[in-house]
Amino acid sequence: MKITYNWLKEFVDFDHSPEQLAELLTMLGLEVEAMEKLGEGMDDVVVALVEEKRQHPNADKLSLCRVNNGRELLDVVCGAQNFKQGDIVALAQIGATLPGDFKIKRSKIRGEESCGMLCSEKELGLANESDGIMVLPVAVSSLGTPVFSALGMKDTLFEIGLTPNRADCLSVVGIAREVAAKLGIKIKYPLSALVEGNVSVESVIGVSVEDAELCPRYAARYISGCTVAPSPEWLVKRLNAIGIRSINNVVDVTNLVMMELGQPLHAFDCDRLAGKRIVVRRAEEGERFATLDGQQRLLMATDLVICDAERPVALAGVMGGENSEIEDSTTSILLESACFRPAAIRRTSKRLGLHTESSHRFERGTDVGGVTRALDRAAALVVELAGGALAQGSLDIYPGKSEPAAIEFRPERANSLIGIELQREEIIDILKKLECLVSEVSDGVFAVIPPSYRIDIEREVDLIEEVARLNGFDRIPATMPIAKVVSDRPTRHQQLEKRVRDILVNNGMNEIINFSFTSPDAACKLMLGQDDPRRITIKLANPLVDEQSVMRTSLLPGLLETTARNISFRSLDLKLFEMRRVYLPVAGDIMPREPIFIVGALTGSRYGAGWSRTDELIDFYDAKGIIENLLELLNVGGISWVPDTPEPYFHPGKSCTVFSGRERIGSVGEIHPTVLENYGLEKTVFCFELDFEKLVKLSRSKLVIRAPSRFPDSTRDIAMLAPDGLLFEKIIGCVNSVKAKEIEDVIIFDVYRGKGIPEGYKSIAIRVRYRSYDRTLTDDEISALHRKVTDILVSKLQVTLR
Amino acid sequence: MQKKLEQLRNDALKAIASASGEEQLQGIRVRLLGRKGELTALMKGLGALSPEERPSIGQLVNSVRDNIESTLEAALNAELERVKCERLQSEKIDVTLPGRNAQVGTKHPVSLVVEEVCEIFAGLGFSVAEGPEIEHDWYNFEALNFPPEHPARDMQDTFFVENDLLLRTHTSPVQIRTMLKQKPPVRIIAPGTVYRCDSDATHSPMFHQIEGLMVDKGVSFGDLKGILTVFTNQLFGQNTGVRLRPSFFPFTEPSAEVDIACVICGGKGCRVCKNSGWLEILGAGMVDPEVYRHVNYDPEDISGFAFGMGIERIAMLKYGINDMRLLFENDVRFLRQF
Repeated sequence: MKITYNWLKEFVDFDHSPEQLAELLTMLGLEVEAMEKLGEGMDDVVVALVEEKRQHPNADKLSLCRVNNGRELLDVVCGAQNFKQGDIVALAQIGATLPGDFKIKRSKIRGEESCGMLCSEKELGLANESDGIMVLPVAVSSLGTPVFSALGMKDTLFEIGLTPNRADCLSVVGIAREVAAKLGIKIKYPLSALVEGNVSVESVIGVSVEDAELCPRYAARYISGCTVAPSPEWLVKRLNAIGIRSINNVVDVTNLVMMELGQPLHAFDCDRLAGKRIVVRRAEEGERFATLDGQQRLLMATDLVICDAERPVALAGVMGGENSEIEDSTTSILLESACFRPAAIRRTSKRLGLHTESSHRFERGTDVGGVTRALDRAAALVVELAGGALAQGSLDIYPGKSEPAAIEFRPERANSLIGIELQREEIIDILKKLECLVSEVSDGVFAVIPPSYRIDIEREVDLIEEVARLNGFDRIPATMPIAKVVSDRPTRHQQLEKRVRDILVNNGMNEIINFSFTSPDAACKLMLGQDDPRRITIKLANPLVDEQSVMRTSLLPGLLETTARNISFRSLDLKLFEMRRVYLPVAGDIMPREPIFIVGALTGSRYGAGWSRTDELIDFYDAKGIIENLLELLNVGGISWVPDTPEPYFHPGKSCTVFSGRERIGSVGEIHPTVLENYGLEKTVFCFELDFEKLVKLSRSKLVIRAPSRFPDSTRDIAMLAPDGLLFEKIIGCVNSVKAKEIEDVIIFDVYRGKGIPEGYKSIAIRVRYRSYDRTLTDDEISALHRKVTDILVSKLQVTLR
Repeated sequence: MQKKLEQLRNDALKAIASASGEEQLQGIRVRLLGRKGELTALMKGLGALSPEERPSIGQLVNSVRDNIESTLEAALNAELERVKCERLQSEKIDVTLPGRNAQVGTKHPVSLVVEEVCEIFAGLGFSVAEGPEIEHDWYNFEALNFPPEHPARDMQDTFFVENDLLLRTHTSPVQIRTMLKQKPPVRIIAPGTVYRCDSDATHSPMFHQIEGLMVDKGVSFGDLKGILTVFTNQLFGQNTGVRLRPSFFPFTEPSAEVDIACVICGGKGCRVCKNSGWLEILGAGMVDPEVYRHVNYDPEDISGFAFGMGIERIAMLKYGINDMRLLFENDVRFLRQF
């Protein structure tokens, strides 16, 4: 909503500077989002008199002027033709800066010196187009004063961000009412002196409202013998200042009154209304209608239309029709001022994508009690500006008329809810300043009738808000509530979520956050099977772009895209993870599941280039190592790594499924080369994927802690030749099958293929650590145990000792 | 004999003094004190002395030996020390070469802010609650007093899914879900992901909010002001100016926008705060009775407040980020700075 300082001042008397006013409005909940001072910085554009005007010696289209700025005579070259000697003009002096950062400097034009510029309205930012320079209607006595001051155009434009509940403030008067209430003064409503003729309005035109539900009130006045013409200067300027284009004197009046009082109005060319009748009814399904912007509209039965005896002539509350609009030849006018049901106007305006100043107000709700005030004001102004005779009386169909409901109000309740201690009288006084009618019902209980324009005030709590607001939020003391609750600790789910994030960060990974929506082709890029449940996605009805049109069922596509994007920025060594929800439809339930998954991607160099370590590339075991670390710290046990993962996006030979007991908790592997290609990745990427919800279920919070043995250990190595396909897991299983409690741990410390090892075989070296909890083991005991271990390896597996 | 001993002592001390290196010193020891050494030989000659001479010469021999031994010991120690020093000198490394550090990752700034805000509110007695992101219209709008066809719905551009489901436009539905599950008193905060179909330099179609709700007997707007003042001071520093100004949300009445004094210019006015000196960071208010009606709470019996804030907004202010899109581009050069 735009208003100007001077306009506001016409209705309420205050001494605040524009800055103070902005602060006052903002603290009333009418947030001033921008403030523009008209004419600011233009004090070097002054009123000047053209003392002499002659032809420029070297240019046909230029003239040489000698102008008087009240202090001195200056020579100025001018290109305009629309003025003469003795005219009063706007002189931009040397040093002035015009809109568009145009600086006025001393210059020579075709050999003649020019000490300034005579300005047009366009050059001063007062109009979009102008013909020649401005000739000012001011007295010679004001020579030298800034043009904006001399014209009384020094003003400040405020842009106010209104919340949707404050429909009553969509007008200058509405805002003036707020200022007046805050300052405790009276507002001056615009006056309209009506001079009615002898012809009664009923004798000219009839109105019937067929749908009182959607149209609680419809009022009209009739004016004949008008002359449609351009609006006077003051009206054009006033509308321009708040961004409304001038059309003609009649239409401009309806707009002016709407901006002044908040009541949208419409003017019909009465001679073009068939049967001289107005019928307010719902449109017929499929009815067609041309709005005055030239568009054909297809109507529905939910739309309300204003019709004449034959056809629609306006889309109620939204826009008038081409068939009845005011034209230059129009002489008789029907002025409409009505009240429509907000939801209906909103539905129509939304469906047609037709948002107007009128629909904006109606869909937020207008003042049903202010309908005739606006109508009278507009009628008076039309007669004043366009002449003509006003018919006697107004038509006022008011089927929605009802007694205003009183609201029960307890001042004590206001104090306790707000946390203030105002006297009862102070509180009642605040409500009265807001033009509420207040009467005491019983001790401490009041009946309050809010003014008809405050359609947002319906309940006691709404009145309490008014008290808090007008008294000032800044006057409410900040207190601390008394704690009667002890907060719960974070749930296990919440604790583990943070813990996983910490562990992954400590493993050198950077957390990413991708959008929850993804492209419908994500499943194809991951090569998911046709019957893969992750192909069933939740689709957005109104996505912004196709790439963000389905809710993701896997975090991998986003992760791979992020990897590719970073590589394109030459960040080649990456360890990324994301821990977020995926969205899985559930058969038989409209609400989907939103489990959290964890994914990670690793690529590039293991340590990064540097002086101290050889540059090694990340491989499968880096990714696996992070999961091992994570599972151990979360105390998830019974882990097994099963090759031949069913996930199609992994390299079949370099990936596995991770189990805890019989529960599948995730997978890890090298990304399949085709999937890499699908994401434009040229280098190998290793990924893992874990179901966080399962980890929460499987993570044991209890740790079993054992005191360390106080006796020395002894280690023995075994080097063996094994077939290439023999899994390390089998070797470990074999060693553990000895079931000796003295075997403390087994590590693998070398795997070698190549020179000296036959084709199809690998050399494996393991180290077994022996230690007892109750004594120092003798060499013989250790040797006997170790023999058992080697024997079982040789007998159970196809290995030979080296 | 005496003379010989003195001679020997003098020669030995001179030899020790002029010896260089451990090898020469050990040589001297062998030459003088070894089994076939000169002093050893002299000591063997003691037996030939008269009983009168023996004690004094014997004493002298002992003193010469002690003297030589201790001098030799000292010289050897000094030599070892010198060698050690020399070795240490030679082992000098370039301490300015980069260390061999374990690589440490980073949390996303959104996660960092969520953790910090939750931590502050945990200290104020608030528990963390959560709810679905794909939400039913009733929880997201109706129960929060956004009637169908109401212009307030325009405040939040909504992504729709079928069956009256939508992507939640705010974390406020968690209020409803919590109150339906739990009787007062309630003190929760609810961090979460929310969606609006809007995308430019200051809007992202997906972003994050933290919702707060406190309902109990006798909770006032002044309490809301108190809690938010403590919160903003803990998050942005003590003495950060806080201002509440009237606003509108369908689910609170009275409603307020909460501004903090601009953290960039300190309230003097700059580009970030559009010269107002204030930055809007929160929406808040007293829970509207209409909301209580939907969750079967009695507004005559209890009262409470709710507030909500945008995480990205706070992250941008805290870290001086001026383009929201940076938060979702996931460029590691950006992420590694946190």
